Amino acid sequence: MSPSVTAAPGAPVVDLDLADLRRDPYPAYAELRRTAPLAWVPSVGRHLLTRYDDIVRAEKLTEVFSSREQDSLLLRTVGPNLLREDGPEHRRLRAAAEPPTRPRQVRDLWAGAFEKNAHDQLERIAGRGEADLIADFAEPLAAANLALVLGLRNATADDVSGWSRAMMAANGNYADDPGIWLRAEEATRAIEAAVAEVAETVRREPDGSVISSMVHAADPVDLAEIQNNVKVVIGGGVNEPRDVFGVGAQALLLRPDVRERVLDEPALWKRVFEETARWVSPIGMYPRQLTEDHEIAGVTLPAGSRVALVIASGNRDDSVFERADAFDIDRPHRPHLAFGGGPHFCMGAWVARHEVSALAWPLVFSRLKGLRVDDSAEDRMEGWVFRGLTSLHVTWQSA
Amino acid sequence: MPTVIFQLPDGTQRKVTAESGTALMRAAVSNGVDGIVAECGGNASCATCHVYVDEQYTERVGPPTDVEEEMLDFTAAERRPTSRLSCQVPLSDALDGLVVHVPEEQV
Ligand code: HEM
Ligand code: FES
Repeated sequence: MSPSVTAAPGAPVVDLDLADLRRDPYPAYAELRRTAPLAWVPSVGRHLLTRYDDIVRAEKLTEVFSSREQDSLLLRTVGPNLLREDGPEHRRLRAAAEPPTRPRQVRDLWAGAFEKNAHDQLERIAGRGEADLIADFAEPLAAANLALVLGLRNATADDVSGWSRAMMAANGNYADDPGIWLRAEEATRAIEAAVAEVAETVRREPDGSVISSMVHAADPVDLAEIQNNVKVVIGGGVNEPRDVFGVGAQALLLRPDVRERVLDEPALWKRVFEETARWVSPIGMYPRQLTEDHEIAGVTLPAGSRVALVIASGNRDDSVFERADAFDIDRPHRPHLAFGGGPHFCMGAWVARHEVSALAWPLVFSRLKGLRVDDSAEDRMEGWVFRGLTSLHVTWQSA
Repeated sequence: MPTVIFQLPDGTQRKVTAESGTALMRAAVSNGVDGIVAECGGNASCATCHVYVDEQYTERVGPPTDVEEEMLDFTAAERRPTSRLSCQVPLSDALDGLVVHVPEEQV
C-alpha cells in the first residue's frame, strides 16, 4: 500500500509552522485537542492525533495502525528494523533483542557498570564547579550505557553519541541535505563494522548483550538484521534518557521544595522520572500508516493514510491529567504515554528508568554540593518530534 | 465461554465473558475494565496488567511463567504469592467463574 500524502476527506486542515512547533508545541496541541483532535497538518505531511484516549486506542489496534510506514526516512537511514515491522516479523526481532533490557537483567547484569559509568562521567567534571550537564554528563553517560547494553565494547561513548546524532539528523532530513545523508552513511557503515566484529566474538563467548542475544536467538536473526536493529537502538537510545535527565534535573533545581523532599525520600525519584517523561516527553510523536479504512476522532481515514500519534499531546490531556501543564510529582498515578504502547512499547524503558532515576539523578544531586542553575546562561527546550533541553548550565562548590 | 469476575479496588465488580484461549488481560481491556493498563499489549514487558488471583483459584490458574516471574518483581502494587500478569493467563472452560482482584496501582 503506497502512503497517501494528502488529507483524508473530511479531515480538518490546520496549518502549523514547524519553527513554532520546535520552540513550543504545547499551545498548538491544546488547541488541536479542543477543536480538531484529528487534523491534517500540511507542513508535517501527516494527520496529527492528539487526544489521550484516541492515541491509546490506535496504539492497541496494530492491525489497522501499522508501523510499516512506507517511504520513511528511518527506513532509508537504517534499513528494515523492528520499529517499522508488524506482527510475527516484529515479534521475532523483538524476542531476539529484548532479553538484555528486561528489568532483572538491568539489575543483575548492568546496574553495577552503569553506576561506574555515572561515577566516571561525574569525576571528569566534579572539580570544575560548572558544567553543561547535557553535553558534559547526560549525553556521554547515556551513550556509554548504551554501548554496554548493546555489547559494543569496541566503541567509545563519543563514537556512539556521534553516530546517534548523525542518524537522527538523517531521520529528520526532509530538506534532503546531501551532507546529512553522507554523515549518516558514514555512521551506519561504522556501526555495521563494529557489530560484525562483536557478533564474531560473542558467537563463541556469549556476554548477555543485545548483540549476543540476537546472535544466539532461538528464532534466527541474520547479521544484516542485527546491524540494522543496533542502528535503531543507537538512533533512539541516547537522546531520550539524556533529555529526561536534563528536564527533570532542571525542574528540581528550580523547585527547591520538591528537591528537598526527593533528597529526603529517595523512593520519590521514581515519581520524578515518570512525571518528567509525561510532562516533556522525549519522543513527542511517532508515525503509523493505516492498513484499512478506519474511523477515529470523528474522521474516516482511508487505507494508506499517514497518522502521527502525538504522545506529547496525550500526556498533556486535561481529561486525564488535571492541570496537565504543571510539573507535579504528587499527581494521581495515571499511565502516561511517553514509552508508547502495544507491541512497540519501549524496549529500553527499564534501562532508562534505572540509569536515570536510580543512578544519575541521585548521584549528581548528592555529589555536587550547592548545585544550582547558572542564571547567566539561557537554557531552553527545543523540539517536537524529540524534545529536551539543548543545554543545562549549572554551578556548584568544587572545593 | 468462560466468565471472569474482576474485583475492583473500589469494592465494585465487573463480570466479563470471553472465548477460551483469550488472555485474561485481553478480556479485561476489550471490555474496558478499569485498572488493567497493559501498556505493552501482552508482551510481558511492562508489568501494568498485574492481578491477584483469588485464593480459591490459584491452584487452577497455576504459577507464573518464566518471563512473567521476573517482571512480577517490578509491579507498582506489592507482589503477593497470588500475583500474576493477566496477559500471561489464558482463559479456558476450566477457569469458568474465575475471580481476580485488581490492585490499587499499575503505575
Ligand atoms: C526515557 C527514555 C526513553 C523514552 C521516553 C523512549 C520512548 C520510546 C517510544 C515512545 C517508543 C515507541 C515508538 C513507536 O512505537 O514507534 C520506543 C521504542 C523503542 N525504544 Fe525507547 N525510549 C527511551 C529509552 C530507550 C533506551 C535507553 C533504549 C535502548 C536501550 C530504547 C530502545 C527502544 C527500542 C529498541 C524501541 C523499539 C521497540 C519496538 O519496536 O518493539 N529506548 N521508545
Ligand atoms: S500487558 Fe504488559 S506485561 Fe502484561
